[in-house]
Amino acid sequence: MTFLENLPSFMLHAFTVAVVMGPLCALLGVFVTARRMAFFSDTISHSALAGIGLGFLVGLEDPTWPIVLFSLLIAGAILWLKEHTDLLTDTIMALLLSGSVAFGIIVLSLLKNRRGELHRYLFGDILSVNLDDVWLAIVLSSAIGMWLFTKLSPVALLTASEDLAHVSGVRTRWLNYAFVLVLTVVVSLSIRLLGIILVTSLVVIPPAAARNLARNLRQQLILSLIIGLIGGAVGTVASYHWDIPCGPAIVMACLAIFILSLVVGKFWLNQPTRAKSA
Amino acid sequence: MGLFSASHLTYPNSHRFLSHAYKAYNHTGADIAVSVRDLHVSLGGQSVLRGVNLHLHRGQLVALIGPNGSGKTTLLRAVVGLQKPDTGEVRLLGENNIQKALPRVGYVPQRFVPDRSFILSVREFLALRLRETQSWFWHRHRDTDDRLMADMAELGVESLLDRPIAALSGGQLQRVLIVFALLKRPELLILDEPTAGVDSPGEKTFYDLIGEIHRRRKLTVVLVSHDLSMVYRHASWVYALNGVVCCEGSPEQVMNADALKETYGLNISQHHHIGHPF
Repeated sequence: MTFLENLPSFMLHAFTVAVVMGPLCALLGVFVTARRMAFFSDTISHSALAGIGLGFLVGLEDPTWPIVLFSLLIAGAILWLKEHTDLLTDTIMALLLSGSVAFGIIVLSLLKNRRGELHRYLFGDILSVNLDDVWLAIVLSSAIGMWLFTKLSPVALLTASEDLAHVSGVRTRWLNYAFVLVLTVVVSLSIRLLGIILVTSLVVIPPAAARNLARNLRQQLILSLIIGLIGGAVGTVASYHWDIPCGPAIVMACLAIFILSLVVGKFWLNQPTRAKSA
Repeated sequence: MGLFSASHLTYPNSHRFLSHAYKAYNHTGADIAVSVRDLHVSLGGQSVLRGVNLHLHRGQLVALIGPNGSGKTTLLRAVVGLQKPDTGEVRLLGENNIQKALPRVGYVPQRFVPDRSFILSVREFLALRLRETQSWFWHRHRDTDDRLMADMAELGVESLLDRPIAALSGGQLQRVLIVFALLKRPELLILDEPTAGVDSPGEKTFYDLIGEIHRRRKLTVVLVSHDLSMVYRHASWVYALNGVVCCEGSPEQVMNADALKETYGLNISQHHHIGHPF
């Protein structure tokens, strides 16, 4: 463990959060991508900007809770507008995304001593992860990971077909709400490390890379989890060694794995890139 | 109040189902698999079902026929609780609470297009249906297969276990969906246009198979079909729907030009195929 022992504490914090949240984002991502919720994840991450602005506005040094609460508010607003209006889901999300970003930017620009913070939250910063964030990440990811594996079959069936899930006795409405809640919390807590702009990539790239190699859902889940773990760990270490923003470093690590998986899947495992009908 | 409301008897061609209605009136609820009373459903402000009444007897193979947009799918969706009615009552397998009856119902939706990014194998998909195979993620394939194989063999799809459901042909997917529906040994099997996406030669084999399953398992089967020759060959009772029940009766009663004209609003001529009258 010489490598870890030699790391400064801030780096150890960031590394721990990366190897905890990376696999969790990747695991959830398998269902998020199949349910075409990547834009939802993007909306939630961007809405965090308003949470950050509000947190600083009320004088908080650590805006973690305002981020989570505002993200949940936006997730709730998306669901409510989807159910109670005829607006398309994409339209609703675009409205809330741009509104949150605009609000956040205005608030941050008014707080003259906080203007420098914007860059950290947009692209992620390993220096911004403290010990409280580490514990929060460990506790939440354990709880969410256990929930996901307990509910793996209902969530998989819901992803395959909401109608079949309903007829099979799954309480689809509540499971949908629970999934949105979990995704919102995971995305908003990963922003510190990955940044608002890039957090969705950790939800999208590992499942896509796993899809290139897997032959069934079990393999896709396991591979996605491993790729999220490796991408998170390698990206955080690269960020520390080369003094580059953490979010882009993790994304580039995941992207490198994706390209490798594409080559291996296509030319070695001979996986079709498109499922062909028999 | 009896099983049939007075308004039901005002529909044209009511003489065709008077004897059936009388039987239904005198039967106990136990003989009725599905009972629908004065069902009104609107979709997007358009009234789709306008006071539908029907009573499906246990053990029958019932066909729902009608032109596009006549409310066949909406009716079936309301029966299994996927569509909330504006007014009216649905009683499923003797239960007013549809959710309670669903474990005894198998349902094959009209449209099921698996997402290619979600690489769910046939084995995993079927395992989601049963409580004893829902922990498929942790189990060996063999344990899951033992529980699924008999039903798969009945539908002739046992060789597809390892295939992703997104890679199946239309016919293969429909058979797998029927296995999914049959796994829980349902008392009622509901098929919404089961041959959508199946090629023409495959259709006949498919309906023969459904007829065989109906006889062998002594199930109540309700299916939507546009194939009138299938209706004539296999159905024991036919409902012709066009917003309301236009007529009902045995295939011989319903399959005459007047009844079809009333349902479809067109001049329909009968084409006699070799071996059966249509």
